[in-house]
Amino acid sequence: MQHCEHCHVKIIETRDRCPLCGNALEKEEVPLKTTFPVIPPYIKSQSKIKVLLFVSVVLVILSFTLYAFYPTELNWPLLVLFGLTSLWLDLAFLVRKRFRIPKKIVWQVFILSLLALFWDWNIGWRGWSITYVIPFLQILALILMYAIALIMKLQSKDFITYAFMSALFGFTPLLFLIFDWVSVHYPSILSITTSSIILSAILILQWDSIRSEFMKRLHM
Amino acid sequence: MKDIPKIKWTKLDNASKIFPSTMTTRDTKVFRFSCYLKEAVDEKALEKAIPPTLESFPIYKSVLRRGVFWYYLEESTLVPSVEVENKTICAPLYLKEERGLLFRVFYFNNRLSVEIFHALSDGAGAIWFFETLLYHYFTIKYHDVLPASLLKLPPKAAISQKMDDSFEKTYFRNKVIKEEKAPKIQGPAYRLKGTKVEEHKTKLLEGTLSTKEVLSLAHTYNTTLTVFLTALYFYAIYKEMPKKMHRYPIILQVPINLRPYFGSSTARNFYATMNITLDPTLKDWSLEEIILHVEAQFKEEMHVDKVKSHLDHLMSLEKNPFTRILPLPLKDITLKIANALKDRHITSSISNVGRIQMTPEFHPFIEKFSVFVSARRPQIVVCSYEDQLVISFISPFHDTELQRVFFQFFTERGLEVSISSNL
Repeated sequence: MQHCEHCHVKIIETRDRCPLCGNALEKEEVPLKTTFPVIPPYIKSQSKIKVLLFVSVVLVILSFTLYAFYPTELNWPLLVLFGLTSLWLDLAFLVRKRFRIPKKIVWQVFILSLLALFWDWNIGWRGWSITYVIPFLQILALILMYAIALIMKLQSKDFITYAFMSALFGFTPLLFLIFDWVSVHYPSILSITTSSIILSAILILQWDSIRSEFMKRLHM
Repeated sequence: MKDIPKIKWTKLDNASKIFPSTMTTRDTKVFRFSCYLKEAVDEKALEKAIPPTLESFPIYKSVLRRGVFWYYLEESTLVPSVEVENKTICAPLYLKEERGLLFRVFYFNNRLSVEIFHALSDGAGAIWFFETLLYHYFTIKYHDVLPASLLKLPPKAAISQKMDDSFEKTYFRNKVIKEEKAPKIQGPAYRLKGTKVEEHKTKLLEGTLSTKEVLSLAHTYNTTLTVFLTALYFYAIYKEMPKKMHRYPIILQVPINLRPYFGSSTARNFYATMNITLDPTLKDWSLEEIILHVEAQFKEEMHVDKVKSHLDHLMSLEKNPFTRILPLPLKDITLKIANALKDRHITSSISNVGRIQMTPEFHPFIEKFSVFVSARRPQIVVCSYEDQLVISFISPFHDTELQRVFFQFFTERGLEVSISSNL
């Protein structure tokens, strides 16, 4: 065993310097002894994402530059900016919640609905977001969630709360109908129908599950 | 949708509630128990030792989840795997978006280790878990050498006792004795500074001494091991402290195991902490004086009534209606801030896990034990096994002045110290 002449301590593993005082230790002939594994430095895996982010920013800058040289009636660089921002926003949530698909679906519906509203408003309100996008997104989410739960054999605790939330969200088109915001009615009606079916399935067939999930998540 | 067996879940106990909110990438709230064996660790035997251990400690099968108001533990069907040590010490165990077990089992050459997230258990509870794991490991690996009488482990407590939330059980809401005064607010404590280790790594510097020698050294000062080591740590900090910082008191946080006070045998958290103070402005302290000063504070702080009122204070914070109704994300922030404020009043901490006892038949297989935790500031964890006293200094800093002063005290008195470090 190596010995530090300054601290008068023995060193258990083979080292060049004393871990206490930093003085050089005499080399030993005996085989090297290690007590802890060497952990390679943690490499930031975000570099590719950073490059992509940089490319997006450059794209936005270039489109504004182009627009400055050749102005058009439509402010299209602004659309590029909003488009890429939407993409990044959505991506950020996808990556963050990547471990729980049902939760991800709820978030996606929420984000995509907001983005649709924003875009509809931004390019002259024509109402397509509330007429088609939001109702169909809700329907799609509910079907997708049920399909994924079946395919991935999820336990009810892992998706029931999210299914419940989606089903509740699925009733938002009811507002569109009541306040007569939409002229085409069938997407909203379909959304409400699907949500009602799923909601009654949860409340009737999975009552115990949803109850215990709520007890668990809401305990104070 | 088909029927699925009911999923068991458990509330976090009072002490656990703070860990998920206050953990950081540097201070992961993970602690490690290691046992250095005489031979290299047998991966197969270790793998086989885990399932029977989990049978006796069902809480370890849990994953941590976020509710609307609190975190909670949910039983999982995950099977822990045994790995060769390949992570930095006390690497994070709870990641918000991953639902993983809250402990890991791994080995490196002749060292068998477990790392545990503090929300599951405290040191005293984890020792029990670790001893059981080792028991199964030894009886599987050496079943032909060990006497048959040893091959059956009589349970020390009912599963329900081990799963017990002892905080909840010992708390009587009506009996809250109005504390004489709220814990006295002191000014900020002296805080240790240094160059941080890169990549949030923790530096471990471990000294192994002879238990007998240190104990007899403590006895020459007429005191116990814990008081002696605490006083010596004070002394080292005091000696290393720049003179201009003397206006700040040195405050060491020392955990108290609450099990003996309330006859609990829970394998979960059941501890409180006491703050031991030394005011450098009072006089030019000698080690003897510090020992007397520390001893008096230990006696006062560990008195049953004091411990009880402290416990009631902890519980009343949790039971406060305002705390309860705060949604989890806000609780996270509040607890983080409260913790940071509390941190300003602590210089360091020292924790003596105590004597680890193993059945004599296992002694030929074991060299020593070592225990340490993740650290946001330099701190000490001590444990002993037979004649091997292991003092683990963990620190987020590269600097080793404090450690040198501390260990030099022993070498100057002719005691042998063996040093080991991870960086």
